[in-house]
Amino acid sequence: MSIKILTVVTTVSLMLAAAVTHAHSASEHKKKNAEKPKCEAINNMDHSKMDMNDPIMQAMMKQCMGTGNKGSGNHSSAHKPDGHKGTDHNESKPKS
Amino acid sequence: MKYMNYVKYTGVMLAVSVLFAVTFIYSGTYPVGADNKHNALTFWVLETLRTKSIARASNDIEVPPLEDPQLLLTGGADYNDMCAGCHLKPGQEESDMSIGLYPKPPNLTIAAKDHGHGDEHGESNSLAQQQFWVIKHGIMASGMASFGPTHDDDRIWAMVAFLQKLPELDALQYQVLTARN
Repeated sequence: MSIKILTVVTTVSLMLAAAVTHAHSASEHKKKNAEKPKCEAINNMDHSKMDMNDPIMQAMMKQCMGTGNKGSGNHSSAHKPDGHKGTDHNESKPKS
Repeated sequence: MKYMNYVKYTGVMLAVSVLFAVTFIYSGTYPVGADNKHNALTFWVLETLRTKSIARASNDIEVPPLEDPQLLLTGGADYNDMCAGCHLKPGQEESDMSIGLYPKPPNLTIAAKDHGHGDEHGESNSLAQQQFWVIKHGIMASGMASFGPTHDDDRIWAMVAFLQKLPELDALQYQVLTARN
């Protein structure tokens, strides 16, 4: 009898553990002490020398705008090169 | 008669070979510690098997556009959480995992052709196909996990997009792109 109960408890525990560890969202990777992006360093750079058409630079700008650490108003126009004005980056999300 | 003898000898040779192989497997004499190295023949067999298998399996994968900057943010954060421990970050040359794993995980902060996987990667489209396949399915007995069961294709493609840019990143760019807001 006790073996049956033990088997049921073990099975249910394993199933719960499997459910918890299965597919997870990006938010589950967030840690309480997660490092914030060092946007001050970006803001201190000479923006006139940056290639604003570079996807890496665009992503960094987007990241820092998201944190509310964007530079002074003088830089805002530089963050949006002509080719990206009004562009919703999520529109080009890849399809699998 | 001659033909029958030939068949008989071949059969005996085959049986002896199988017996030898089974004995060797059960003897436990093959060293499987990750601090050992395969002999040259075993290494060549496994490497060739791996590269050819990945190339074949990923050949028909359609690569989506990977230029969206948002992909670098999504993929960068996932790379930092799940991959950097083995495949390193800009400015980092080794980690406990990169030293201890065998086969050694490729350093993805340098271009594919420079870390000894040039032949398997070829042009960027096939590189992206193979990276997607490897992230999604993993590689048996190599330490490379399959992330397909826990991550959808969009997130895996975001990691592939990030990997295309990773060799170009310096430490600051990496930090900004991979931090989670």
